[in-house]
Amino acid sequence: MYEKHLMICGATGCLSSNSAKVQQALEEELARRGMKEKYRLVMGGCPGFCEVGPIIVIYPDEVFYCRLKPEDMVELVEKHLVEGEVVERLLYTGPDVDVPARFYDTIPFYKKQVFNVLHNSGIIDPENIDQYIMRGGYRAFSRALNLEPLAVCDEVKRAGLRGRGGAGFPTGLKWEFTNKSAGAKKYVVCNADEGDPGAFMDRSILEGDPHAILEGMLICGRAIGADEGYIYCRAEYPLAIKRLKIAINQAEEYGLLGENILGYGFNFKLNIKEGAGAFVCGEETALLASIEGKRGMPRPRPPFPAQAGLFGKPTTINNVETFANIPLILKEGGAEEYAKIGTEGSKGTKVFALAGKIRNTGLCEVPMGITVREIIFDVGGGIKGGRDFKAVQAGGPSGGCIPTEQLDLPIDYDSLTKAGAIMGSGGLVVMDDRTCMVDLARYFLSFTQKESCGKCIPCREGTKRMLEILQRITEGKGAPADLEKLDSLAFSIKDSALCGLGQTCPNPVLSTIRYFRHEYEEHINEKFCRAGSCKALFNYYIDPETCIGCRLCVKVCPVGAISGERKEPHVIDQSLCTRCGSCVEKCRQNSFLITRVGREADVSN
Amino acid sequence: MERFIDPCCEQCTHTKNTPCKDFVECCVSGPICHTDQACAAKRKAIIDKVAINEKFVIC
Repeated sequence: MYEKHLMICGATGCLSSNSAKVQQALEEELARRGMKEKYRLVMGGCPGFCEVGPIIVIYPDEVFYCRLKPEDMVELVEKHLVEGEVVERLLYTGPDVDVPARFYDTIPFYKKQVFNVLHNSGIIDPENIDQYIMRGGYRAFSRALNLEPLAVCDEVKRAGLRGRGGAGFPTGLKWEFTNKSAGAKKYVVCNADEGDPGAFMDRSILEGDPHAILEGMLICGRAIGADEGYIYCRAEYPLAIKRLKIAINQAEEYGLLGENILGYGFNFKLNIKEGAGAFVCGEETALLASIEGKRGMPRPRPPFPAQAGLFGKPTTINNVETFANIPLILKEGGAEEYAKIGTEGSKGTKVFALAGKIRNTGLCEVPMGITVREIIFDVGGGIKGGRDFKAVQAGGPSGGCIPTEQLDLPIDYDSLTKAGAIMGSGGLVVMDDRTCMVDLARYFLSFTQKESCGKCIPCREGTKRMLEILQRITEGKGAPADLEKLDSLAFSIKDSALCGLGQTCPNPVLSTIRYFRHEYEEHINEKFCRAGSCKALFNYYIDPETCIGCRLCVKVCPVGAISGERKEPHVIDQSLCTRCGSCVEKCRQNSFLITRVGREADVSN
Repeated sequence: MERFIDPCCEQCTHTKNTPCKDFVECCVSGPICHTDQACAAKRKAIIDKVAINEKFVIC
């Protein structure tokens, strides 16, 4: 028996913040003191709060330590484990708490969260099937084996689960279609090709609770009559793939995958296919082509995968988070319990990845129907550096922006669509007042343009033309007719592109025009970018009233454009300045102002 | 019995080739096919080793 359990976040986010070195230092300190046998160290799943990683949570004491460094481990062992005292300086502190917060329930980031899909993340060792079983794992699958396949579909329909991959199609209905498709051979496919910039929900679920995906796929196999499944996971997720492989081996050893599972005569084999990272392979027909060994390109539908999918056989394809919801629904009384959370049209919880100019970057799971304001300000802690909120991009490159006026919009499939955004897979990229919305639209379009597979003309050529126009506008060469051209091209592409990628890629442009038309007009008509992002359309100017002559900006300027005596206001030589922004980042006085090109001191803007 | 897949005694026959329908439930609440305090204790020992608190096990 262990005295305490030390759960270290071993997910990709914390690993990149050196959690492996923290673990090593902790192990060495315990070994040095001869205490290794008394404490259990687990490199577990992600507790979500990436901003303050690396994180260790100590149980049963329920103490959440964060922002850890390897050198903190001596003190942590001495004070907490030996003397039984909490190390206050390693607890969570921030502007949203008056005193250091000890555990999840006192940290504002967690207060509005509901852990359903993530209920095992950071709690179990993801490489241990026994712990998944202890947490109720594989019980829903055992129950499903005792139900008729269509009854399983009915339970998923009754729960109201909609696909978490983006489009929000009712999952139970999709399963029913495949169940009713004729054919002795059918497939289950898990789309783990998470490609939106800033999104890492699926990666975290795969890394923290891989057996939940296996169980969801097994239940789906039972419901649709499939005996084989594929997990299509991008090769950039090596830890997720490693843990999936371990989980599959364990499930096979335990008789939960393979032939005659649990004696019910149900067979199910699971394969992993590593994707090469093409964004278009997140589109279901392109993904299926990639598994078949063909070039990842979409094809027209119908036939839908439920009729003719992988290798021409009826196939159900769902994303990682959708499958992770299934064991919650199929447990005894699960469907009813599940349907109690969320809104009329969007049931359950949703996992979001918070990225961009938000204070608490990380992963959160919240009930459907929560408002944008609650996610950004209560969970996310507001905007970094005390700046003003400008907008949030929901749904990645296929989504749209939600501006300040829509902060009280409830997050559900239908409300987001009405607002011109989409749920997407759950990436939320937050922008502050220094973000140029024209440049943002250009960035997302350049992403989808590069990722366009080139099969259909509207997407291949249309996105290129749109990108050229946006490029022109951000370089100060825009013309008044450009907005109309963008609008017309966007709707043509939406109406005629072959797949979801093409049909949705104009969304960032359309939503920024809808909510920030004045910024486009300012770029085109006044050749001014007030956010200070489009380099051809502004100058930096140092406010002599606030500059204290500290010379920090002089030291970081890569082209020597800033001059001035110590303790005297500095000036910028505009002929040398490249507007790289290094000086702005360094200035503690906020003395850098954005002015129109050619104007030296128009501080009114 | 180090893991749930290990048999608690000769009466447990679950393997992938000789599957038992009650295996999953048996892991946490077993044994189901027979009554033996020692066999139940073996399962409890596996759980107690890793259960981080009293809410850990979900039946």
